[in-house]
Amino acid sequence: MKALEQLKDELKSKFNNDIIKFETPIDDRLFIDVKKEGIKGISKEIFGRGGRYLVSIGYDNIARDNTLGMVHTFAFDKESYFVCVRTSVPESDPVLDSITPDVPNAGWSEREYMDLLGMKFTGHPKPKKLVLADDWPEGIHPLRKDVPYNLMPPPAENVAYQMDECPEGCSVVPVGPFHPSLHEPNHWAIFVDGETIKGCDYRGFMTHRGIEKLCTTQISYNEVPFIAERICGICGSVHATAYSQAVEMAAGFKISRRSEFIRTIMLEIERLHSHLLWLGVAGHLIGFDTVFMQAWRIREAIMWLCERITGNRKTYGMIVIGGVRRDITPELKEDILNVMKKVDDECNVVYKAIIGDTTIHKRSKGVGYMTKEEAIQWSIVGPPARARGVDIDARRDHPYAAYDEMAFDVPVVDTNDVWGTVVVRVLEIFEAVKIIRQALELMPAGPIMTEMDEVIAPLKHAISNVEAPRGEAVHYVITGEENRADRWRVRAPTYPNLQGVPTMLLNEQFGDFPIILGSIDPCFSCTDRVQVVNIKSGKVNVMSQRDLEKMSRRA
Amino acid sequence: MEAVYIIINILVFLGLAPLFEGIIRKLTAKVQSRQGPPIYQPYMDILKLLGKETINSADNWGFKVAPLMAFASIVSVIAFFPLANRANLLTPYADVIMIIYLLTLGGIAVLLGALSSKNTYAMIGASREMVTMIMVEPVLAMTLIMGAVKVKSLGIDMTMFSTNYAGYGWSVVLMLVVYLMALQAFIGRQPFDISEAEIEILEGPFIEYSGPNYALFKYYMMLKQMFYAALFVVVFIPYFNTGFYIADLIVQIVEIGLIFVFISVIGSTNARLRIDQAIKFYTVLIVLSLCAVGLSVYGI
Repeated sequence: MKALEQLKDELKSKFNNDIIKFETPIDDRLFIDVKKEGIKGISKEIFGRGGRYLVSIGYDNIARDNTLGMVHTFAFDKESYFVCVRTSVPESDPVLDSITPDVPNAGWSEREYMDLLGMKFTGHPKPKKLVLADDWPEGIHPLRKDVPYNLMPPPAENVAYQMDECPEGCSVVPVGPFHPSLHEPNHWAIFVDGETIKGCDYRGFMTHRGIEKLCTTQISYNEVPFIAERICGICGSVHATAYSQAVEMAAGFKISRRSEFIRTIMLEIERLHSHLLWLGVAGHLIGFDTVFMQAWRIREAIMWLCERITGNRKTYGMIVIGGVRRDITPELKEDILNVMKKVDDECNVVYKAIIGDTTIHKRSKGVGYMTKEEAIQWSIVGPPARARGVDIDARRDHPYAAYDEMAFDVPVVDTNDVWGTVVVRVLEIFEAVKIIRQALELMPAGPIMTEMDEVIAPLKHAISNVEAPRGEAVHYVITGEENRADRWRVRAPTYPNLQGVPTMLLNEQFGDFPIILGSIDPCFSCTDRVQVVNIKSGKVNVMSQRDLEKMSRRA
Repeated sequence: MEAVYIIINILVFLGLAPLFEGIIRKLTAKVQSRQGPPIYQPYMDILKLLGKETINSADNWGFKVAPLMAFASIVSVIAFFPLANRANLLTPYADVIMIIYLLTLGGIAVLLGALSSKNTYAMIGASREMVTMIMVEPVLAMTLIMGAVKVKSLGIDMTMFSTNYAGYGWSVVLMLVVYLMALQAFIGRQPFDISEAEIEILEGPFIEYSGPNYALFKYYMMLKQMFYAALFVVVFIPYFNTGFYIADLIVQIVEIGLIFVFISVIGSTNARLRIDQAIKFYTVLIVLSLCAVGLSVYGI
């Protein structure tokens, strides 16, 4: 890794006083321990050199040395390695320089740790509440180890999130928490001047399930993949794979080649499913229900196929640490090839219909405009990035599973708009079919499961990424004692992409809001992972129809 | 006999409008590889809504009166309408200006309901509806004015039968094309279902309506789309006159059905346009319809 060594040397000469040590557990992972004073400068330097910001990981280390840890992670895609900048702050004074002014996408991560760990970031441009419920009591930070996973503070009345100020001359259109274009609960305040969008504010994190907390306090390594699958209803295998890879990496453990091939096949089937689903939803969002119905008809065949392979239409439960749970038999191979042929043919028809449809062009060309520079600045991932000429794809840049043996193209267009995301996704369907065929062809014989005998050593850091249909998912694992992770951080692709949406929305028409938001294929629950669910104090209160009517009508 | 025609008019429209809606839904489902609802589903929808409780979410008279006003205005238009190419007792008492006026009144009623429901989405829907009305109403007016120019009369029957009296010229062909292009906008279907746009503004003007009030609005929309289809048939297809009232009536109903096939195919193969894109489209239509009237003045 020449590029990695070079970066190491240059950082050493420039920030020698701030750097404590370098660590390279695997060839393509560089961990840098720095003093807290140096975090801002070093992050800025790495970002400026083209390091794509991934996510920040804050963790509680109070029991060991009275500190709160913080890791900023970056990826160099061309040279295919990751850089993780680690630092820590004393619990008594948990103040750190904010890197958000230089790395805008770090905004949410830092806000998250203000809520969850009680850290403070000087110079953060928008230090508002992000994750915790509005009635969550001050001073309780749920990700700290001394807070029990099932804590239920009493609910409070009359607290509400303060949306940003509406700019002068604009009016507010509320979208959400429930709205047909959102599919999941979250709230947007759209500031419009006539029908033109002049700004917006977002309040999400409404369906927190506390998955990270749960999995680091209650559940052991081997059970987590099944919970990881439930982070997202659509890219389940992605999260299970990313988590399993991170743990395998931390343990220095190699799984069988056959299981890597099966993982690849499952990931690509999932991509087919997700892209067809998205195509349908996108059609619906612009009022083109025929596209919606036809795309979902094609998708149905894939779900039946998955049922035959795994036993489930979705949430397959295939991927576990050490391999996969079911083999692909010769009959299943035949079955998959048949379905692929059908999907390929039918998608060709859909592709031709979409490419030639003038109303789709009208509704998507030039809509949701964002330049390549802005996309890089906001660390956008997946099809929204590739539609803006940013040539990144974790499958090619950071090969995992069996992707190193697969030959496929990464479609990149530079229309910078929603139309580009349509084209990228449809082309990726054909690439996915290609990969599945290759994987079935090349798959070696062997066991599908490798048992791990040794105990995983504690406090090992590992980062793994998987190209989900919507973009890149990143999982960061810090191993711990008691057969479970000390910290597990999930970053779903919607997390960075959603932060770029306000830029895409600016000066667009309100009628385009659904499709612009839809173009990133948002998965809000994927971002909502961290908080403990707040249920009312156990007392059941049955409401009559009259009560509900009273509540829902004018007070 | 002429008085009976009025009653038949109203019965035919009230009875068949939901059926044609059902045809649209069934055909759309077929295009989308779906089973689709049974063809009589719209009747069921209306019956069900009529049996529901009325929720008066906006406590003012405008909100209550708007659905009635819309429904009444479209029924009055139908009462004057020379269905089956026969003027009825009422037809001579009004002129085409009156028809345009009453049709606009229906739109105004929708606006009234939307604005008095005080809902943000309804407001957006109302402003879109208003723009649509202003931009497509001229096409309707020009269609009738062209007829009036041809027969030099504003009488309803004379104007609407103008093609029959004065024959098919280039102006009529042009107007026919323009009318077909505007048809989806008249009846608020894709690509011009902008003011309802479920996914953006949740049915816009009707968001606060429920129960019988909503049933009236739904019925109004169905009657309106049947009226615009029937108007096309009467103005542009003046053929197949058998001389027998019942036979003429059946011929026209079949022709209306064919128009509905056209409506559902266009509706299911287009995405919804944005309001600013639609306005550009409407502007072209207005200019073309003015050209058609200009041509008709010279007898072309």
